[in-house]
Amino acid sequence: MGTVHAKSLDPLPMHGRDLGVNPDDLVDAPDVAQEAKQEILENKDVVVQHVNIQGLGRTKEDLLGYEISDVFHAKNLIDVMKKAHVARQKLLRLGIFKDVEVLIDTSEGTDALPNGLDVTFEVTEVKRLTGSYNTMVGNNEGSMVLGLKLPNMLGRAEKLTFQFSYGTKETSYGLSFFKPQPGHFERNLTLNLYKVTGQFPWSSLKETDRGMSAEVNFPLGVTNHTLKWEGVWRELGCLARSASFAVREESGHSLKSALSHTVSVDSRNSAIFPNRGTLLRLNQELAGYTGGDASFLKEDVELQFNRRLIWDSVLSASLWGGMLYPLGGQPSCIADRFYLGGPTSVRGFGMYSIGPQSEGDYLGGEAYWAGGLHLYTPLPFRPGKGGFGDLFRTHFFLNAGNLCNLNYGDGPRAHLQKLAECIRWSYGAGIVLRLGNIARLELNYCVPMGVQSGDRICDGVQFGAGIRFL
Amino acid sequence: MSLAAEAFVSQLSAAEPWPETATLYQPLKEDQILLSDCASSLAVQAYLRMCNLPVRVACRANAEYMSPSGKIPFIQVGNQVVSELGPIVQFTKAKGHSLSDGLDDVQRAEMKAYMELVNNMLLTAELYIQWCDDATAAEISRPRYSSPYSWPLSNILAYQKQYEVRRKMNAIGWGGKTLEQVYEDVSQCCQALSQRLGTQPFFFNKQPTELDALVFGHLFTILTTRLTSTELAERIKSYSNLLSFCRRIEQAYFEDKSS
Repeated sequence: MGTVHAKSLDPLPMHGRDLGVNPDDLVDAPDVAQEAKQEILENKDVVVQHVNIQGLGRTKEDLLGYEISDVFHAKNLIDVMKKAHVARQKLLRLGIFKDVEVLIDTSEGTDALPNGLDVTFEVTEVKRLTGSYNTMVGNNEGSMVLGLKLPNMLGRAEKLTFQFSYGTKETSYGLSFFKPQPGHFERNLTLNLYKVTGQFPWSSLKETDRGMSAEVNFPLGVTNHTLKWEGVWRELGCLARSASFAVREESGHSLKSALSHTVSVDSRNSAIFPNRGTLLRLNQELAGYTGGDASFLKEDVELQFNRRLIWDSVLSASLWGGMLYPLGGQPSCIADRFYLGGPTSVRGFGMYSIGPQSEGDYLGGEAYWAGGLHLYTPLPFRPGKGGFGDLFRTHFFLNAGNLCNLNYGDGPRAHLQKLAECIRWSYGAGIVLRLGNIARLELNYCVPMGVQSGDRICDGVQFGAGIRFL
Repeated sequence: MSLAAEAFVSQLSAAEPWPETATLYQPLKEDQILLSDCASSLAVQAYLRMCNLPVRVACRANAEYMSPSGKIPFIQVGNQVVSELGPIVQFTKAKGHSLSDGLDDVQRAEMKAYMELVNNMLLTAELYIQWCDDATAAEISRPRYSSPYSWPLSNILAYQKQYEVRRKMNAIGWGGKTLEQVYEDVSQCCQALSQRLGTQPFFFNKQPTELDALVFGHLFTILTTRLTSTELAERIKSYSNLLSFCRRIEQAYFEDKSS
């Protein structure tokens, strides 16, 4: 199957949650004591007099004030414990503490009230520099990956990450700086500098991207917005002497300078196996108005509904769609177009092997849609329940999609007609495994249908690993 | 593809006739192409016209990167893509068209020697003047080479190319030469060619060969390209038989071409 060469250039998500805080872990406030004691504790009024944080080294205190300020508003003991727990989670999500312990004690000292309490957070800061070293082997290539992380670099939860991958075929590296706004961790700024190489055998194409990007995230109500500017120097080349001429024509250098905006609303309870909730993600990218050669407008939408049915099974429906509109009269570049097919989108087809192609090389398309209907159930007879077995699900799926180029002169009716003809679809069943909170492994038995001439299918057993699945 | 597979495919393609849609790719003529590339491209065009093989000329900004060897020009014939004059001559030979069949072994060896002379002297001198001479590089080569790209990519690519060529010049020992020495080398090369040509219409007998195409390509381009100084063109003009040779080939094979 090989290493996952990401077509997207974002590094693996390394936001403040990677200390292992899984939203599934967010338990409700501890059900503290039995009924009788609960009454007494609830009735007793308390005043929180001091909230201390001990164990700070390089972290600046003004950053933490926002996270713990809510504890002062607690009115009774149960409330204090709940608010202290929430404050502890907030401190942990900053990603700068290895451990946070909460100590609630009666206040002492000259100004101590009879019902006063002191809450102390004992924190252990993470080390200044952490490193990681991995070796990866796959697809006729071996590589060595070195990672360096400087968390909490300047004391206000900034993070500097450096990743370097040295392989037998390619070398990539990336430097990333993350800075949250003190008090509002969800509003943050990320600056990236990277060089990434990728090989795409389905198009006989190899791509080297050197670029930089600046990204601002902020929440607005229930939505989460991301504004990003990206400047990339792209170098495309043929992977083999036998590449088709259509791909050979795309070789060369180009510069893309693009502004993009993403809005997402996510009410699911988990990213990998959600039981309920919906996801809506809308992405727009405009290239060419801030310099560069590439000039286009790209729209991308992702929708997912989840609903729980009887016997712990979950019905999940998802819809993807996108359109690329080249501006300025130039044709679109193969590196900007959409691709469809494979174990992560329309299952039963080869990797990105649907749609326009030339001599066996898939060129991608300017418009696509894809839909999936899944039924997830726990493993039959539930082996390893409560532990390892919970990472697996069986699923039955129905996928469909289409990828094509549109004539932008015709009206929307002609576009819809073009997207509705020659639909590829497939059905099947398989087993899914959750990896951490980010990735998923699938082993499916697929039956592809609606295959058009030129598509490459993978009927029978198909294995897939990735982050984003249809 | 493995060597055996490539040989098999070229055997198969050798049997196919020359298609009407054969195309030659070179950089943009008006704004981008440089002296050395223009000379090589003209040599290939002259050779194909001498063989009576039709070819269309297409200009692309990324022709250099499209080429399988990274050199201009390259031709697309059916499914095959071949670049540079040497391999193109071999390719047409496999299809049964050749200009040097009438030569005996001694003459063929002589022809190869003169072609090497042109490549080592004239082509290298062209590259030197374009990229190692600061005035020419700044006024002509870098702006032209980077014209299809936007800033800052244009600067990066132009300086990258200049660095590559200068490194190559140092490797072959031309790094230390001055412009005067390069002009002298060109003069000597032209003298050798002029002596070999003598009063004959072509270098070998009355039939043109690939050597004629190569020499024509380089000399004609040098004579008709504007550089920062006319010194190079002047040196060539001092050999009158080379001038009439160029004019003769232009009239014979390019009379429908507007230059």
